[in-house]
Parts: sequence; C-alpha cells; structure tokens
Amino acid sequence: MSEHTSAGVGATSDGKGTAAEQLAALDLSEDERLVLAKVADIVRRISYGTVVLVIQDGKVVQIEMAEKFRLR
Amino acid sequence: MSDVMTSQAKPSPPRDGSPPKLAVRDLVKTRRSTSGSLVTAVDHVTFDVHVGQFVCLLGPSGCGKTSILNVLAGLDQPSSGQVLLDGRPIAGPGPNRAVLFQEPALFPWLTVAGNVELALKLTGVPGDQRPGRARRWLENVGLGPYGDAQPHELSAGMRQRAQLARALATEPDVLLGDEPFGALDAQARELLQDEVQRVWLERGGRKTFVFVTHNVREAALLADRVLVMSAAPGRLLEEVRISAPRPRQLDDVLVARVVSDVHELLMREVGRASAEGGPR
Repeated sequence: MSEHTSAGVGATSDGKGTAAEQLAALDLSEDERLVLAKVADIVRRISYGTVVLVIQDGKVVQIEMAEKFRLR
Repeated sequence: MSDVMTSQAKPSPPRDGSPPKLAVRDLVKTRRSTSGSLVTAVDHVTFDVHVGQFVCLLGPSGCGKTSILNVLAGLDQPSSGQVLLDGRPIAGPGPNRAVLFQEPALFPWLTVAGNVELALKLTGVPGDQRPGRARRWLENVGLGPYGDAQPHELSAGMRQRAQLARALATEPDVLLGDEPFGALDAQARELLQDEVQRVWLERGGRKTFVFVTHNVREAALLADRVLVMSAAPGRLLEEVRISAPRPRQLDDVLVARVVSDVHELLMREVGRASAEGGPR
C-alpha cells in the first residue's frame, strides 16, 4: 500500500464535502479501495454487529466481525 | 490486499449447502422435580451445527444447556423433538462423539496412558497401535512425561488435559464439552482454552466442537457461534457469529466487545427471570 496523504486540493477527507469529493480527495490506492469495498459489503450484510479492522504498519491486515441474531 | 482475512470460521449455514453435522429440531426436555411435578428444562430449541464449527451454548445456571448436550451425547433422549447426527436420530452414545466432563472421570487404578489406551480399546483400535497413539496424544497436550503416572498424582488442570487426550485420541467427529474447564483455576483454564484452540486449528477445522459453558469469556474466545440461552425454561435468545482468526486472546478488541455485549444480554435475562420469580 503506497503512502497517501489527504493534502488534496479543494475537498478534503475531514468529513466535509460530498462523498464523491471526499473520496476524490483521498486519492485511494487499489488496496484501500478493496478494504472499503470489503467493509461496505459487510455493512450491507450485517444488521447488528461489530466490525474490527486490524492495522499493522499502516495497512489493514485483517477484518474481524461479530454478527448478532435475535432468535426469539 | 490478499492478506486481508474476513474469517477463518465457516459461515452458518455453509455456502456449499451441505447438510448439518448435528441438527436439533424443536427439542423439548422435561424432567420430574423432587416434588413430582414436571419441569421443562429445554423449551422448543432448534439449531444446526455444521462440520468444523465450534459452537458454544451459553446461559445462566439451570437453563438446560447440559440437558441439550446430554441428548447430543446420546446419554439422554428428547422428551419431544428430534436430535440428528448426520441426518439420523441419535439413539445413544457412539465412538463418533467424545464428551469432556467437568470432572475428568479417569479410572484411578489405571495410569494416565492406560486411561487413554482403554478408550482406544473400546473404540476398536488394535492393541499394537494403542500405546503409540496414547503417547502421541499425551505429548500433544503436554503430558508426555506423565503417561506412567496415576491420575491422583496430577493437578486438576493436568487431569483435564488427560481427559482431552483421551477424548481426542479416539478421533471423534464431534467433541462435546460440558463445562470442561469449569472446575479449574483461572490459569489452568486459560492454558486449556489455548490447548483447545490449538487442537481445533490442527484438525484443520474438520472437527465439530460443541461446548456448554456459563463463562462468557470462554465462549467468545473459543466459538464461531455463541448460542445464548434464556433462564429456565431454556430457549435460544440470541446467536453471535464470530469471524476472527485463532488463536484468539481475551483482550482482542472483537473478543472483548462480544464479551461485553453477551454479558449485558445475560444480565438482562437473569434480571428478567428473577423479577418473574426465578427459575421454574
């Protein structure tokens, strides 16, 4: 995963601007886009639960999750 | 990002649509109380366990979790409903299932290795293979030097290791545990929990484990699926599916989070049950 900063021009990743502007400002690498895709996929599939991203040396090395189901 | 893992655990149900290893269907278990009245211990419980899954049944004391395990082990019969192993009703105990009890129940007149060898004999392993296989399994659980010892010479944790070796040496498809670490001190318990995680990993996820526990941390540490039961009469309240690689540690963020969530649920449940007059 290459080094990235959010020092883009215009929109920034500080939560301001549209989603598209923020994503553009981040100039995501392929690896980072894959992480986001994976997380979005999990969020769509889980109704209740927890997702944990384990990061080492600036990279997501693991995605863990716990999903809860009510049974009664 | 090939190194990103979402799970080592198998999803439930498996994507390949394979039939469950164990199927509990609308299980009801009643028993006669000392006063003669009929008490419902397990109240219409349904769940599947697929090959390679590690499932923990978790619930307050008296919720019927041991009753479910006894039926899975074939030590008891359902009052109504069905319990199936590989699609067939469980009629009694069998060599395809081994049970770990809270008390190791080793024969005191046999050596530790002798206890393991007896289990091998009872499951039809030829005599010339028994000593080697017993020794290998004792080494596997860290009891290599204690094969000739008598059970009473071992600590409680070591006796529980011997029980684990005895259970696994017979190569059962399913390992059932009834609070197997419940009587151990915290340190011995942690060592055994690590041991079980290692054994499960070494079997490549091919063994199916079902453990009963009232210890939330143990369930979150060991299980792919935690089935949380209500206070008596036992019903399933919630399932938590955990996808995190093993071996896990109690301070892993996800494990700690699951412990906190399940603990809160159980405390609510115990509070509700006591407000309604306690276990019936």
